[in-house]
Amino acid sequence: MKLRQLWNSIWPPLVAVILFLILWQAATSLFHIEKWILPSPADIAKEASTGAAGLWRHTLATLRLLLLGFAIGTAVGLLMAFALHVVPFLKSSLYPLIILSQNVPTIALAPLLMIWFGFGILPKIIVITLVCFFPVAVAAMDGLSRADRVMLDYMRMAGASKGQIFTKLEIPHALPSILSGIKIAATYSVMGAVIAEWIGADKGIGYYMMLQKSSFRTDKIFLAIAIIVAISLAMFGLIALLEKWLIRYKPAKDDK
Amino acid sequence: MLTEKSHLASPEALEIRDISLTFRERRQHLPVLNDISLSLPAGKFISIIGPSGCGKSTLFHVIGGLLKPDRGNILMGGQNVTGQRGLISYVPQKPALFPWRNTLDNVLLARELTGGANEAAHEEARAWMNRAGLGGFEKAYPHMLSGGMQQRASFLRGLLAPQEVICLDEPFSSLDELTRSDMQRWLLDLWEDSRRSVILITHSVDEALILSDTIYLLSGRPAAVLHRVDVPFTRPRREDLTEDPGFLELKREIGARMKEEQRKKPI
Repeated sequence: MKLRQLWNSIWPPLVAVILFLILWQAATSLFHIEKWILPSPADIAKEASTGAAGLWRHTLATLRLLLLGFAIGTAVGLLMAFALHVVPFLKSSLYPLIILSQNVPTIALAPLLMIWFGFGILPKIIVITLVCFFPVAVAAMDGLSRADRVMLDYMRMAGASKGQIFTKLEIPHALPSILSGIKIAATYSVMGAVIAEWIGADKGIGYYMMLQKSSFRTDKIFLAIAIIVAISLAMFGLIALLEKWLIRYKPAKDDK
Repeated sequence: MLTEKSHLASPEALEIRDISLTFRERRQHLPVLNDISLSLPAGKFISIIGPSGCGKSTLFHVIGGLLKPDRGNILMGGQNVTGQRGLISYVPQKPALFPWRNTLDNVLLARELTGGANEAAHEEARAWMNRAGLGGFEKAYPHMLSGGMQQRASFLRGLLAPQEVICLDEPFSSLDELTRSDMQRWLLDLWEDSRRSVILITHSVDEALILSDTIYLLSGRPAAVLHRVDVPFTRPRREDLTEDPGFLELKREIGARMKEEQRKKPI
């Protein structure tokens, strides 16, 4: 029953993707498009089967970078949200600035970070942290401040301390919201990692893309994009699973 | 000054003395409570009836220490406890069970807050849950329970709290008529066994008469005590009490007073 539901939600987009690939393949051979402009899906698949081995090293490097950056970014986002929630003055003074800071494109900061921190892992981690912390912090703060009024009154009348209200009511109440923030941060972290590698690195998918760009190996660039998409989807899927497990008390959506 | 002996002689679990409260926002003044006094002897059940929106829930917030009254005092066992929190057990209008806790953990919440959720408390909670028809639902999350079951779990949470005084804020108002009379009976049996000190806010005259020892009638806003009715029926209350001529007479009398008060209300 459940499998059937899953299948029912999967097959329409799957069919769309397959149709798109067929169309792409047909267009490249029909209009004789040069391989270096747009390789056909078959070309990319061929490249994947032969050249994937060399990519493994780069994939691992990117994975390591983005997981580290994602973990730090999420932690910074959560800590910031908790601090701002607990100290109202911090919230009223810093929250507008945090929102404003999002108008600065992180990518534009990357060259600066390279100048300040060199070409090691540190500036890359900072770039990923910068793109990750914001969705987490905003979602967490929003979730924390929306705790149910009646439950809050109950806790206060029962004599609950601030700490008890925080751990037993506000955090669990904010958890779904926090997790949606983390889901967004997970996909952002992939983007952040690739961009950081574009700007200065000696390994990683982003570095590999730059390398292939200079030799017009479009097929290899497409392969790199496919890997990035796969990593992104895997991150999203893992967080969604974690969410399902943490929020298992929620009724199924199709109830009622 | 009260001596140790004198407040043993008149053990008022809760006494409210001349409480007044006005909500102020900018230049708007909204008087809500007007010189309210009432007393709850230990082990008794009192009810407060008033027109809707008269500030009954505000009174609970004052008793619970969430709001500070402009004038007047709250006394518990002879001690002035105005503005102190954590001294009453509160059962809100909506069950307000925590959706991420299973029913047993919800029932034990108040104990947990005071650091007394040990093995004995678990056993006690399980026993009460069995009595309340919640046996077998210990591990179920609140959304799996019916409205009546949720409300019973909310009651047990209040009952298992270590505080002596229990405040019930219109606990039956969201239930359908049938469940409601079941729950009244259930609460009555439960209370006659446990004999805690209870204040019930309600707008049902029947409910107040069935359950309580004393009824306070409140006026429309600003709420003041209009009348105090001592309910004469013996305990344990009989199943067919609602058909007793004395019951009907008292109900008619209170109903008439309430109607009169409702009419006075400015529109």
